[in-house]
Amino acid sequence: METTPTITAMEARRLLDRADRVSRSAHNATRWPYITFILALGVATSMGTFAMALTTDSAFGLAYFGTLFVMFALLIFFMVSIQGRSAFSRSRRWTGYIASWFVTYAAAISVVIWAHGSVLLAGIASGLILAVAFVCAAREARS
Amino acid sequence: MTATEQHPRHRLDDLLQNPVRFSIVAALDRAGTLGFREVRDAVEITDSALSKQVTLLESAGYLSVGKSFAGKMPRTSLTLTRHGRAVWHAHLATLREIAGDTTP
Repeated sequence: METTPTITAMEARRLLDRADRVSRSAHNATRWPYITFILALGVATSMGTFAMALTTDSAFGLAYFGTLFVMFALLIFFMVSIQGRSAFSRSRRWTGYIASWFVTYAAAISVVIWAHGSVLLAGIASGLILAVAFVCAAREARS
Repeated sequence: MTATEQHPRHRLDDLLQNPVRFSIVAALDRAGTLGFREVRDAVEITDSALSKQVTLLESAGYLSVGKSFAGKMPRTSLTLTRHGRAVWHAHLATLREIAGDTTP
């Protein structure tokens, strides 16, 4: 007995258009705080660790506290902006992004502590933070 | 093999032929994980209607439902499973075939 309903080419195209529209709108409505946050965090920590690795005394203090201040400001912005759409923050994908950023940030902090003054190492470590943040943001924006 | 078996519409997933379930999975396709309210707003249905369809999709293994608390407020998150994603992509591929579009 025939149970599968007939579906025309036009109906199939309409369903495909609907799938694309719903998928895009759900993604766009909820992801911008995450993309903005990971991008801004990457830029701030990359510049901050680069400055910390190459400065001393009061300039170092300014870079250190400036980076901390920006990180806290970003965190507050993030917490406020994801209210009501925080489900993604508990997903494996987001955990992966933050873990990737943290590994490169830890590497850059290690350069600040153990290779202070090395322009090459500071450049590589800070550049890595920036690259990872850009890749994560781009991947999420294009998903 | 009969002519009936050859038609691509027979490869369409039965669960995803319901328009609400179709939209729920579509909403989760790019996002991967969304909150209950985010899906409700994207699909534009009531909480009870969404809850009913989510239960069906969860029992079929297409979605996983996560529960957490923000203070005293319960938070439900919906995640498209690997199996659900595979079924969804096969369903879309069949729709493209019916529509006459062979590009992935």
